[in-house]
Amino acid sequence: MRPAGTGPGLPEGKDRDLDRLLARVARGDEKAFASVYDQLAGPVYGLIRRVVRNPAQSEEVAQEVLLEVWRAASRFDPSKGTAVTWVMTIAHRRAVDRVRSAAAAAEREQRIAQPPAVGDDVAEAVEASLEQERVRRCLDGLTELQRESITLAYYGGYSYREVAGLLGSTLGTIKTRIRDGLIRMRDCMGVSW
Amino acid sequence: MKLARYDVHALTGAYAVNAIDDEFEREKFERHMHRCQQCAGEVRDLTETAGRMAFGVSRPPPPGMRDSVLSAVSRTRQLPPVVDHRKPRARHWWTGKLPMLSYSLATATVGVAIVLLISLIGTRHELDQVRARSAALAAVLSAGDSHAVTQTISSGGRVTLVYSLRKHAMIVTTHGLPAPPPGKVYQLWFIGPPTTRSAGLLPGSPAGRAGPVLSSGLARGDTIGITIEPAGGTRKPTTTPILLVVAHG
Repeated sequence: MRPAGTGPGLPEGKDRDLDRLLARVARGDEKAFASVYDQLAGPVYGLIRRVVRNPAQSEEVAQEVLLEVWRAASRFDPSKGTAVTWVMTIAHRRAVDRVRSAAAAAEREQRIAQPPAVGDDVAEAVEASLEQERVRRCLDGLTELQRESITLAYYGGYSYREVAGLLGSTLGTIKTRIRDGLIRMRDCMGVSW
Repeated sequence: MKLARYDVHALTGAYAVNAIDDEFEREKFERHMHRCQQCAGEVRDLTETAGRMAFGVSRPPPPGMRDSVLSAVSRTRQLPPVVDHRKPRARHWWTGKLPMLSYSLATATVGVAIVLLISLIGTRHELDQVRARSAALAAVLSAGDSHAVTQTISSGGRVTLVYSLRKHAMIVTTHGLPAPPPGKVYQLWFIGPPTTRSAGLLPGSPAGRAGPVLSSGLARGDTIGITIEPAGGTRKPTTTPILLVVAHG
């Protein structure tokens, strides 16, 4: 099992605090929710913004996600993962749903025409924090193809097929790169379950 | 068999970052995960890792967002906990038809394929041929009226067409197309109101990845088709097309 509080992205012990906070949210505690908001709205919004790009749409999706965290808090199961990950999974899924919907076709072409470069965006992100530094340093430790694959898939919201198309690699190569890269990220950031 | 298993297993990373857009493939992987404890553990690990990666792009939300979320919260009833042991389907994935591959994505794919081709082929003669072909491919890709269409084939795999009516040409690439039955080939067609013409054969490949194949002779009003025909091809299609795409102007 995983030692408490070793997850990166949050100060020591904070992620288990969040698990407890979310349990209070499930019981209708609005103050607990405000506290969850204050800790997670930044990464939630940042991640969505990275995938969706359009600020107004990103805000809309972020609001939906945070409201969903409130609404579905009782469905969070701490035996399956941390609260942080539960929230980020909802955020990523909603962001990807938004960009993969047919309505976004035109915008999508734009996005594909200009695949994001992770370095730039990480640098341009306003909130410079230790967590950010750590993620960035770990990303720097990947091979180029691993980094590109993970960046396009996670921060770009592309499917691994699309990533293969963008990088001109086979599906098998991309699958492996994403997996190997994430394993390296896991080891670098010290995530264990 | 062993290869196939490994293949499914390698999807743990893509699954963790929500990068499997094919619902069938994702369900197949989920079924595999139920039987493979190691995979389930790895997915959990990698999902946690991905979740932490969000902190790498953290960004202060717009100023009014906190108030509007908190006020929406006070007006929103929460879901009751799940008491049933059956897991609710966590995701209602978008199941509409595959989006058209954008022109630029196709350009990137074919462009990289061209570069790879060039880098792989050593002899000068072949290189010259490839260069001429690359120029022809580039002409279609860069034509102002070029269109890109990606279609999923029901028997498996996907076909991407990039065509230009102005250049009277089409580029075909395939991905994951099953090998044709022994003694058969995939044949391309331009099916027009006046005539149906062969547009060449798709070279087979073990990985089902073929192309880019360049075919000329596309005319306005044509429908582009692919059929399975006896080796060497035929003059007219003899089987039901596995793909039909109307070449819009």
